[in-house]
Amino acid sequence: MNPLNSWLDADEVRRLANRLMKPVRNPAMTLSDIGFDEQFIGFAESSPARPNIPADPNTGEPELPTPVAKSPTPPPLPQPPPPVPSAGSLMDAARGPFLNRIQRFRDWMRQNFSATGVFLLDREGSVIFDESDHGRLHFLARSLAHASSRENAPTRNVHVKIGAGATLEVIPVETAYGRIILGAVVPQPLGTQAITAIDDALKQVATPPKRTASPAS
Amino acid sequence: MITIAVSSQKGGVGKTTLAINLAHAFARAGVRTLLVDADPQGSVGLSLTRQSRLLAGFYDFLTDPGLPMDRLIVPTRLETFSLVASGQTSDYEVGGGMGAHLARVRAFLRGVAARGFDLCLIDTAAGLFSVSGDVITSSDAIMIPQQAEPLGIRSVPKLLEGLNRLRIMNPRLSVLGVCLTMVQNDLAESIESAAALRELLPPDMVFRTQIPRDSLFVRASARGLPVGVLEDGEGAQAVFDSLRVEVESKLESSNGQPAVQS
Repeated sequence: MNPLNSWLDADEVRRLANRLMKPVRNPAMTLSDIGFDEQFIGFAESSPARPNIPADPNTGEPELPTPVAKSPTPPPLPQPPPPVPSAGSLMDAARGPFLNRIQRFRDWMRQNFSATGVFLLDREGSVIFDESDHGRLHFLARSLAHASSRENAPTRNVHVKIGAGATLEVIPVETAYGRIILGAVVPQPLGTQAITAIDDALKQVATPPKRTASPAS
Repeated sequence: MITIAVSSQKGGVGKTTLAINLAHAFARAGVRTLLVDADPQGSVGLSLTRQSRLLAGFYDFLTDPGLPMDRLIVPTRLETFSLVASGQTSDYEVGGGMGAHLARVRAFLRGVAARGFDLCLIDTAAGLFSVSGDVITSSDAIMIPQQAEPLGIRSVPKLLEGLNRLRIMNPRLSVLGVCLTMVQNDLAESIESAAALRELLPPDMVFRTQIPRDSLFVRASARGLPVGVLEDGEGAQAVFDSLRVEVESKLESSNGQPAVQS
């Protein structure tokens, strides 16, 4: 008696097994299964803002994501972005509850960087804020943030091209609440100045408001 | 350097026994081999080194960027065979889901390669997620011990699904195949299960060599030795030598190049 037939779908098992024995040329699962949409064409080029630091096997410096295959004819990138705004305009607005500040930050990102999706994760990957419907990108964002982080080193952004005209920019930001991982879907990779401005803005947004002395009664 | 993860969906399938003795077989053949205990139960360390509870190890490396790799590597009496224990930090303390330790795992493997090892064999914790997932997505190849009994073999579909998912993240991962373990030639259910699995899976996906259930493994473990070192361990060692040859052959055919070289 075959002890397995009544428990297993033999055809399905064979299909899965045969797939494993073949080299992966095209992803066996749909891209959306792993957090990308069907337009995924590979990692974007590294930002010039990031220093190219060689791996050190002793200290175990995290490696950067390896570029993967791109489509033969990537779509042309849009023109260079307009001048980077300062975070001042964002912070000029009255401060308020944390969620309100984050929502203003999201609006600022939309306005200045055409960000179509903004989410914030804590260092463990738990969602702090997400109105982006990009839940599938959380795991990717957190992995990239961990992969790019180094102790006692400045913030390093990582970006991944997730579709034609869509890049996931991941920016780990050290804040008063600890490290926050910002994920933003933007039309093209952001430059050094933009990253710095966003880093500053999020730091300020995540800084608890100073308590003012209550008036004497 | 070639990195092979020894991983399984279920625990208690003889994974550590396979990892220890296969690593020893490679080392005996002159391949500079590092056996890494990435199972927080620390079975490799507990099997082979009495001081394993004191040794810094793999999980400590994941959590402490300042820990020098040379502190982790424990030499053995066989010059070509070294170990890394699992360490004092448990997977619970390490925390994080899959992907959280990818960078550290890869840093670890770069460090191992830089020290001239030809083969890094990693005994992972059961399951294809968390740190084990990070190890598998950083490895060149995976082999899967599978206990020859009906219940264990029913978990095969989940295993295959999991591996297909991991290959999306690591397309260069070569699936060396399933190795039947704890085969009991005096038990009909064990023999039938082994035969059914061979019938079910493509022939290339199941190692011809199978590991018998043998009291020698218990005795070897009690003495902190690979089975081949025992006085009457020649037969068992021959099994793992055969498995080593099969692994080399599979690596060669998947790479089109000679596999691990001594």
